[in-house]
Amino acid sequence: MATPDLVFDRARVAEDTLVGEVIIRHRLSTRVIHWAVALFFFVSLVSGAPIWTPVFGWMASLLGGLNVCRVIHPWAGLLFFAGSVLMFVRWRGDMRIEPGDRQWLGLKSVRYMDHKEADVAVGKYNGGQKLFFYAAALGALGLLVSGIVLWLPMRFPQLVRWVGILLHDATFILFAIAVVFHIYLAVFAEPRTLRAMTRGTVTKGWARLHHPGWYREVVEEPRERG
Amino acid sequence: MPQGLAIRRSSASLWGGKTGLRKLPVVAKYIDTTTCIGCKACEVACQEWNDLKVVPTQQTGSYQTMPSLTADYWNLIKFSEREDKDGGFLWLMRKDQCMHCEEPGCLAACPAPGAIVQYENGIVDVDPTCCIGCGYCISGCPFDIPRFDAGTAKMSKCTLCVDRVEVGQGPACVKACPTGCLQFGTKDDMVAIGQARVEQLKANGLSQATLYDPPGVGGTGVVTVLGHGDHPEWYGLPRDPHVPWGVKLWKQVLRPLGMLAIFGSVLGAFGHFMTRGPTEPGEDAERGDA
Repeated sequence: MATPDLVFDRARVAEDTLVGEVIIRHRLSTRVIHWAVALFFFVSLVSGAPIWTPVFGWMASLLGGLNVCRVIHPWAGLLFFAGSVLMFVRWRGDMRIEPGDRQWLGLKSVRYMDHKEADVAVGKYNGGQKLFFYAAALGALGLLVSGIVLWLPMRFPQLVRWVGILLHDATFILFAIAVVFHIYLAVFAEPRTLRAMTRGTVTKGWARLHHPGWYREVVEEPRERG
Repeated sequence: MPQGLAIRRSSASLWGGKTGLRKLPVVAKYIDTTTCIGCKACEVACQEWNDLKVVPTQQTGSYQTMPSLTADYWNLIKFSEREDKDGGFLWLMRKDQCMHCEEPGCLAACPAPGAIVQYENGIVDVDPTCCIGCGYCISGCPFDIPRFDAGTAKMSKCTLCVDRVEVGQGPACVKACPTGCLQFGTKDDMVAIGQARVEQLKANGLSQATLYDPPGVGGTGVVTVLGHGDHPEWYGLPRDPHVPWGVKLWKQVLRPLGMLAIFGSVLGAFGHFMTRGPTEPGEDAERGDA
């Protein structure tokens, strides 16, 4: 029987292995990158939203006013992008698109949310997660490019400024919606998911339910081999 | 910002930010490019009155003081040399500064509540206590006027000497003009003077003379007599300035839709939770921890 200390120790360095009754899903460095990106995302959100619309003006007071937001926002955005790059490089290997994944662009996502999707082949990430991964990477790039135009408007021609503003807005809106669902799924809709990103481990039952292909790889195949 | 003036419109403010007090006549500055002699007394007067920093002259190959306005130089005579259709030489000069639009693109683009205001008398002003120096006004202005002041991290531009106008004086530039090509008064009076001058010019052979008061921005607080009104670009003026489509699409379409979509996604997630509920892992929900 693995003691909790052993589980935590193993979860610092190992990933995709069974330790006692739990499976390590994200090793420590992966989790740190995730939360760094999340932190920079929320600092960017709280400093950017009051500049977007006075409806969110109250967020500015959390940081010390609109002037502070204007100073912080571009730098927080840069850090968010840097973190996103790191995340992209780290996770890319697990995010290879497989034949069935493309269906998640369509009705498969709806069936999944309707609890009518039971795919025994789903590996460490399902098609929806992969879709979110690539959309977020693209979104981070779009926010960076358009954000630089907004940061230094005097360096760009008028048409580029307008395109930059519209691109920054549209990308932010899509990103915000995606993050709402990301948090909803991880925290509310699929209990026991959040711990994969905090302690790094998940239960066998969780893995069998959400990622049966990954469960087999991690739990059953090593046993057959060993 | 002058306390005596009521505000007609204020940036990023609910219902436009109108204070609703004290109706004032709309004022305007009149510029007659045909009687301007390019002496730059207006440039000096502007620097003096507004206590702007000394900006060294930058050689541009003409009489022009520098290539374009800066954060410390709000009033610049633009010199241009052109050929008319008969091959005749034209030496044109126009005083460039904030046009004080009736529909200011800068104000529409500004995200900081109260940073750009339009007073009841039509003057468009930057309030540095509210300005955050983001530069969105640059993207909103069809005349390329607002400048970022790196020293204060705020935007700056011509105020139409609102501090003088407020106490019944004319702008400093107008006060200094030796030829009378600059005048100041109510918009109605300035338009009347301008139209009379245009008729005079037409009678004297400048058949294309016009009074530049572009309707695309609702008219401007600076009306300009152009001898060659069929070519406003010769004077460095846009032919048909508007509040940019990019700014309108952003503030009037994308932003409300985006807010609906974001709030809608939160509601949608909540609705999903109530109607479909969570997906609980099966029998071995070990130790019940989340």
